[in-house]
Amino acid sequence: MRRCLIALLGALLLLAAPARAQEKKVLKFGWAQDPQTLSVFLDYDEEDFRVWAINYDLLVNFSPDNLGPAPGIAESWDVSDDKKTVTFHLIKGAKWSDGEPITSKDVKFSLDVLGGNGALFTGYTDNVTSVTTPDAETVVVKTKKPDARIVGGLFLYIIPEHIWGKQSVKSLTTTYKPQMPMVGSGPYVATEFKRNRIIRMEPNPNFRGPKPKFDELQWIKYGSDDAVERALTLGEIDFITEVQPPSFERLGKTKGIKTVKAASPSFTELAFNLCSKEHCPDAKFNPAIQDKTVRQAIAFAVDRDRINEISTRNTAFTGHGILPNFYKDFYAEPEGDLDYPYDPDRAREMLDAAGWKPGDGGIRQKGDQKLSFNLYVRSESQENTQDARLVKEMAAEIGVEFKVQVVSVDKLTELTTQKTDGKPAPDFDTFIWGWGGDPYDPSTLLQLITTSQIGGSSDSFYSNPEYDRLFDEQAGEYDIEKRKPIVKRLVEISQEDLPYLVLTVDPYLQAYRTDALSGVELSCPKPNGDVYCEQVSYAPWATLGPPQPGEEGALSSSSSDDDGGSNGLLFVVIALAAVIVVLLIVLFLRRRRDDDALEV
Amino acid sequence: MNRVLESKRGRFSLAVIALFVFIAIFGSLLAPYDPYASSTDVLAPPSRDHLLGTTEVGSDVLSQLLVGARVSIVVGFAAAVISAVLGAAVGLIGGYFGGLTDKTFDAFENWFLVIPQLPLMVVLARLLNPSLGVLILVIGLTSWAGTGRIVRSQVLTLKERAFVERARALGASDWHIIRRHILPNALPLIFANTVLIVAVAILAEAGLSFLGLGDPSNISWGTMIENGFSAGAPSAGAWWYLIPPGLCITVLVFAIGLLGYVWEQHINPRLQEVGE
Amino acid sequence: MSARWLAGKVLAAFLTLIFVLVFNFFLFRVMGDPTAQLARLPRATPEEIQQLRANYGLDKPLLGQFADYVGDTATLDLGISQRTRRPVWDEIGDALPWTLLLVGTGTLLATVIGTWLGIVAATRRASRTDDSLLGFSLFTYAAPEYWIGLILILLFAVAIPLFPAGLQMTPGEEFDSWIAQALDVAQHLVLPATALMLALLGQYFVIMRSSMVDVLTEDFITVKKATGLPWPKVVRRHAVRNALLPLVTLSAIYFGFVMGGIITIETIFSWPGLGLLEYDAITSKDFPMLQGAFLVFSASVILLNLLADCLYFVLDPRVQDA
Repeated sequence: MRRCLIALLGALLLLAAPARAQEKKVLKFGWAQDPQTLSVFLDYDEEDFRVWAINYDLLVNFSPDNLGPAPGIAESWDVSDDKKTVTFHLIKGAKWSDGEPITSKDVKFSLDVLGGNGALFTGYTDNVTSVTTPDAETVVVKTKKPDARIVGGLFLYIIPEHIWGKQSVKSLTTTYKPQMPMVGSGPYVATEFKRNRIIRMEPNPNFRGPKPKFDELQWIKYGSDDAVERALTLGEIDFITEVQPPSFERLGKTKGIKTVKAASPSFTELAFNLCSKEHCPDAKFNPAIQDKTVRQAIAFAVDRDRINEISTRNTAFTGHGILPNFYKDFYAEPEGDLDYPYDPDRAREMLDAAGWKPGDGGIRQKGDQKLSFNLYVRSESQENTQDARLVKEMAAEIGVEFKVQVVSVDKLTELTTQKTDGKPAPDFDTFIWGWGGDPYDPSTLLQLITTSQIGGSSDSFYSNPEYDRLFDEQAGEYDIEKRKPIVKRLVEISQEDLPYLVLTVDPYLQAYRTDALSGVELSCPKPNGDVYCEQVSYAPWATLGPPQPGEEGALSSSSSDDDGGSNGLLFVVIALAAVIVVLLIVLFLRRRRDDDALEV
Repeated sequence: MNRVLESKRGRFSLAVIALFVFIAIFGSLLAPYDPYASSTDVLAPPSRDHLLGTTEVGSDVLSQLLVGARVSIVVGFAAAVISAVLGAAVGLIGGYFGGLTDKTFDAFENWFLVIPQLPLMVVLARLLNPSLGVLILVIGLTSWAGTGRIVRSQVLTLKERAFVERARALGASDWHIIRRHILPNALPLIFANTVLIVAVAILAEAGLSFLGLGDPSNISWGTMIENGFSAGAPSAGAWWYLIPPGLCITVLVFAIGLLGYVWEQHINPRLQEVGE
Repeated sequence: MSARWLAGKVLAAFLTLIFVLVFNFFLFRVMGDPTAQLARLPRATPEEIQQLRANYGLDKPLLGQFADYVGDTATLDLGISQRTRRPVWDEIGDALPWTLLLVGTGTLLATVIGTWLGIVAATRRASRTDDSLLGFSLFTYAAPEYWIGLILILLFAVAIPLFPAGLQMTPGEEFDSWIAQALDVAQHLVLPATALMLALLGQYFVIMRSSMVDVLTEDFITVKKATGLPWPKVVRRHAVRNALLPLVTLSAIYFGFVMGGIITIETIFSWPGLGLLEYDAITSKDFPMLQGAFLVFSASVILLNLLADCLYFVLDPRVQDA
């Protein structure tokens, strides 16, 4: 009986060991979260963008050099003199991956329907009054007032009308899932999507650009981030798109793996409650926080470099104002004092001069006001919590007390967005949170502190008519040279008044195997962008390719998979057999012993 | 209590529990570092500086372990007290007065006993945003049924005893009888059961914290395991981060369980009638 | 007589289920404000919220909403998951087989080993073996099941890479045959099933031991004196079968405990079953999913209890006199 069992197991083992030959050039990405449906109307995760950015074009693409406007579905455009009409001339003779022609009908559909209903894509066409298509190769967009986003920031993928247009809007916004292959115009299109398992992308036969060098891109789902990292070190995958900060250094030191730290349009800030009585009659806060001198002193007392070093273990970048350096064209690093270099002595002097004298426990006060503030932070973010504790430590040095309150994100949302009688009534002094902007247009971040966003996305409730005026001006300015100085002025004003003290700029952290990828040129923006312009452009796929001959290491490493697989299997079999054998022996022996009577 | 102290197992379990209570009270004084202080020494194995190594943000594991005892013990005991009071009240009132009250209580008890405990606690904790108080409330409110049932059956037996009849004959009010005659006799049973509920509550708090429903501003053993797991400690082989908190939970619950067992065996021989 | 008893149990189960429905409905409607959960996008205007309310039927009176809820549940429409945008029932349907596989394997192992150990301990009552086994069972009860899982991972997946540390299949791999796939799954099943088995072992062992002790105490002396049968025959033929009875019913009762353990074990091993679904729902505050999963958890425990009662009825008619 036992012999039969072992023979059977042996036969199964033979059947189970698959031999695999890989001739296809495959690049394997690993991630711990994957998209839910890949529908541009439904999904709202970062992961989707990584696939969409390769699958689709925008009307105007982002250039990999500086993220500025580059030809997309539109190869050129004219802005009218009153800046309220933009005429796009579409590329001629282009086809979708399924052979259908790309026409102005697709653009109109995308701008109208996706721009009106997509979870992540509403808002871009807020100012658009009409989209007309005089012919198959022209699209005319008219706006209420000049809106520079129409050329530099219309982050709306152009999707095929002949596929998506067949569904009702209700279906698109509730249950419709895209069919595979996902028809698109980028270098690769998704051909298989098994949720929680794998996404496959294959070259688009009708792609109008240079033929991409890989035969297949795979996005493989793992159970956790550290499983992904282990898979990279073992060679099971070739690329990690989101390396966790604690592992970044370790991976960088691993042989055969290269890590990349690139700037992104996101930051972490310390926000102050600046709501005026007019806007928020029922807000609750310590009035001392609205004293500009106090905020500026705090800014001098907070060593942002050190926060970056400890909180993010140097995987992020020190913050310099509300516009991260990702915005290459518009980035204006604040100069001199406006950058608030670390200077606690200066901070103490400022507070002394303004009459804030240290009182009980070293906390400064003036009259009946004390420099003691609450500092809310989300429990979901270890980094933010760390930032809060560091800020508290540093502020204590100059006599400012922060009482750190770790709360859930729901609670923090409540505190910052609650309303009384329809008017905002925020209940906080300060908090730490983050924001992310769009790739090119600085308005997405600059608008966070405009008066019009009070009651919307403004959580500092800052209101400055001068700022608002300049903001509107640059938002409608299509000429970059004219726009830059206005943006610079806006950053200066925000640094002067400090509704936000931007602590760190978030990074894109990537890692890849050097034996799996060649042709790497960091871009988006050059020279310190990331490896494949994640979420923003498909341009790098023209040069990214398999390793050159001679570097042929384990390209897709299915061999190590097999070894791992059959090794483990062998152990299972042996372990099971051992257990069975032991059980049989024990039972046999016990039978002998039990024949003797036992006392109870 | 003397009999418990006489037994070796009893002494051992009481000593362990006392040790943990001591740590719970003095943990923050004993901790060598601030448990929340981070450093650049991330996921480092045990060393002279850090006897139990460091966490994924460089905090000292030993300090977190010592301070985390407080949450586990406070929640465990508080929830058990609530559960005991609630269960005893329901058991006493239902058992004594009988009738519709008893039938209603019985139905509730049945329901709470059938419904899977952790899923129920999870749902309640998620709906009320997690905090120390919520944890205590949620665990207390879902664990009373066992006590309730036991107390009720004890009350039913006591109700028929001679001294109760005599008291009634003398004109004593119902509440007087409950307070003076029934409750004291039911107390040993309630205590014995509560000891076990403490164990259950500590495990429940750890489980809820592990699932992310613990108090966000306090470290507990459960949150330590959760943080370790989310930070990839298993793959990094960071056993010093994962094993100690779980071990503390195990040892404490083991000691409490052992105490309960000893108590039952030695203190209350009558309990053995009720069946194992 | 006996049929009435069974009918009573069925009725009780049905009523409990109804009560779960009522509780579930009111809990989520009253304690969780649906509009806050529905208006996920930060910039939802009041009109959009109004529209959402109408879509979900939230502008009806409470009783009307409850009627809707019952009707929907009867047709297995448990709403749409906020996290994945797929119907809750579909997600549960996908996850259920994996949980059944894990629970089945784990409880089977725990039953077999627990029974065996129970017999060993009962026949050696108050000996050192018995004491150590009791101690061991208390230890596995006291040890959090997710901690046990982590230790298994540290030992058998990281230190000695024998088994995978998570998931149910090797990521990204293609399988040539269903046998290959089954073996891959089996390999991934070993650690989580072992963790579950260890978590349950303590209780199953104690139950088996105590019922065996009861049976042996009352029957052994009588039978042995009367018939002079050899000891092992007595154990095997008579005692084990009688002792198995409580094990059956108590397994069903402990199913509630299994449901709890499943959540944490599947989380540790990223096993795509009902437990991981629950965990994801917790972290993403996906209330429709939480509501649906809670219903399924409760219903399965109720049904299993009923099943156990039926089994008891079939196996031992003596019970209804109790």
